[in-house]
Amino acid sequence: MSDLELRVGDEVVRPADGVRLDWIDAAAGLARLHDGVRSRLVAVEGSGTAWTVTIAGRRVAVTVRSWREQMLAAAERETATLGGPIDVKATLPGLVVAVAVVQGDDVIEGQGLLTIEAMKMQNEVRAPRAGRVSRVAIGPGMVVATGALLIRLDD
Amino acid sequence: MASLRKDKADPPFGRVLVANRGEIAVRIIRACRELGIETVAVYSDADAAATHVLFADRAERIGEAAPAASYLNIEAIIAAARRTGAEAIHPGYGFVSENPDFARAVEAADLVFVGPPPATLEALGNKLAARRAAVGAGVPVVPGLTVSLDGDPDDPRLLEELVEVGFPAMLKAAAGGGGRGMRRVDGPGDLPAAVASARREAASAFGDGTIYVERLVSPACHVEVQLLGDRHGALVALGERDCSVQRRHQKLVEESPSPAVTPAIREALFDSARRVARTVDFHNAATVEFLLDADGRHYFLEMNTRLQVEHGVTELVTGLDLVAWQLRIAAGQPLPPEVTDAVPRGHAIEVRLYAEDPWSDFRPVAGNVTTWHLPDGPGVRIDTALHAHATLPLEYDPLLAKLLVLADDRPAAIARLGRALDETVIGGVQTDLGFLRWLVDEPGFAAGDYDTSLIADRWGDGPPLGADEAALVAAAAAAARALGEASPPRAPSPATARTGDSAWARLARREATER
Repeated sequence: MSDLELRVGDEVVRPADGVRLDWIDAAAGLARLHDGVRSRLVAVEGSGTAWTVTIAGRRVAVTVRSWREQMLAAAERETATLGGPIDVKATLPGLVVAVAVVQGDDVIEGQGLLTIEAMKMQNEVRAPRAGRVSRVAIGPGMVVATGALLIRLDD
Repeated sequence: MASLRKDKADPPFGRVLVANRGEIAVRIIRACRELGIETVAVYSDADAAATHVLFADRAERIGEAAPAASYLNIEAIIAAARRTGAEAIHPGYGFVSENPDFARAVEAADLVFVGPPPATLEALGNKLAARRAAVGAGVPVVPGLTVSLDGDPDDPRLLEELVEVGFPAMLKAAAGGGGRGMRRVDGPGDLPAAVASARREAASAFGDGTIYVERLVSPACHVEVQLLGDRHGALVALGERDCSVQRRHQKLVEESPSPAVTPAIREALFDSARRVARTVDFHNAATVEFLLDADGRHYFLEMNTRLQVEHGVTELVTGLDLVAWQLRIAAGQPLPPEVTDAVPRGHAIEVRLYAEDPWSDFRPVAGNVTTWHLPDGPGVRIDTALHAHATLPLEYDPLLAKLLVLADDRPAAIARLGRALDETVIGGVQTDLGFLRWLVDEPGFAAGDYDTSLIADRWGDGPPLGADEAALVAAAAAAARALGEASPPRAPSPATARTGDSAWARLARREATER
């Protein structure tokens, strides 16, 4: 029914149907969870894609990714596994709104490289691993297509 | 109650200093308040705004965060008592509670130490000396040596004696407590390394590396007897507590009565407990700990000359306030028949909530408590000093709270405990609540058929997350995200998300239409 991807640990999990969540105290993360039969008190913490649900005393980390976030995560996973120079490519068509690095910069894994606006949302493109920026193929104001080269990183 | 009316008119003391922190300091302050006694808290730099400080009538800083500089700092504590005009000092448990030097310093300052006499703390503080005293009183002790292993661990005579004790054996620290300095030894080959490491651990934890050895009693239950004695010779055993659910030789769950104790065993335990206490000049509160083997034979382990963490279990079944009685005894009052003839009623269980991960060998975890929702309702008692958004100080005991229940019988107490644990929600850090919730449904525990091996044998590394639970938490997280993006999280109107419709689906739908 939805394109949200839910991961518990590394496993993709299909969410239970007919589950209802009511905040008792949203600021404190206290909620009532009803599965259609039973009502439980749970703690829910997090934001964006990273959530933690405490149920029956057990903290469980859950990753909640929208379709777009799934694409970004998949691209990051793919590039992170390769050795040698890495081409960081656009996973979505969009407008480059900011570039945070210049040629010759040393970057660490996860460091923000540039920001692409797509679907009225700004998405930060991060370094899939540590390296030196050997080429910056784009600049602010440029529109890029899916698969376009953005940045090349050398070991 | 008649005695409480009398206390209000004529309290045992005018002002008492509480030389402790956390939940036990709060517990003692509560008793003082009910008795009409003014209270003085002491605090370290880490605790300037701690709950026990806010609870007390006055509070005095005694030093830096490190326990040695503050809660173990005898001079600073006595000076605080003098400055504030306190007449007596209640040491709680841990810290200086069993330190004879502290008790002597209190008396030397013309103050009253709320506990047994200093010489008694001295005599029983050394576990090996207490073991010898028990043997002298005709009380069974765990088979083993009554001499220390201070000699060379490679000494062949020592080895010979140990082989006579039998393996597996347990090495223990004479100055020990809290499971530190303890080592299991399965055969002669393991001995030298085990002795060396136990000695090192004991020396660093207690400043005394003396080690002794007992045969391992397994399977065994850990059962202890609560004693209360006045300064006029009255000595009463107020029932037993079963503390067999342990990890790292430390208690997680305590209950009274013990499911392993029959009336005949109880009689024998009480007799042994009184005999050990009579080897010394005893008054105030103490607990005598025993192992109970599968044949119902008991063996003396040690006598703790202080209030025990789990004293509330006995308070629930006897209806007596042990802290209030400690204070009255310290003031010289005799124990009346309502105490000496107290008959326990019902069944009480305590569980300890710790910041630790039961799925990772009960490893302690640091962090901030974000969600903090405690149970309530019939038959539930909470002892805690924690509140939401508290940072857990790394310097002190990681106990978050004690949850106690009282009901008519054991099945009702277990049902009540399950209900209370379902109402307990702690977010921000992993706690042992997950283990405790599992325990309530564990068939062996429910049947009263368990011993000190329960966690190792039946919990192990803990059950993996089931598919149904994973689906449920996934739905909860998705719903929470949808709610968060649909409205600000602090919105005053109640927010609800249901998988399959409403807000949580709107997030997905919005993306689908924009794609």
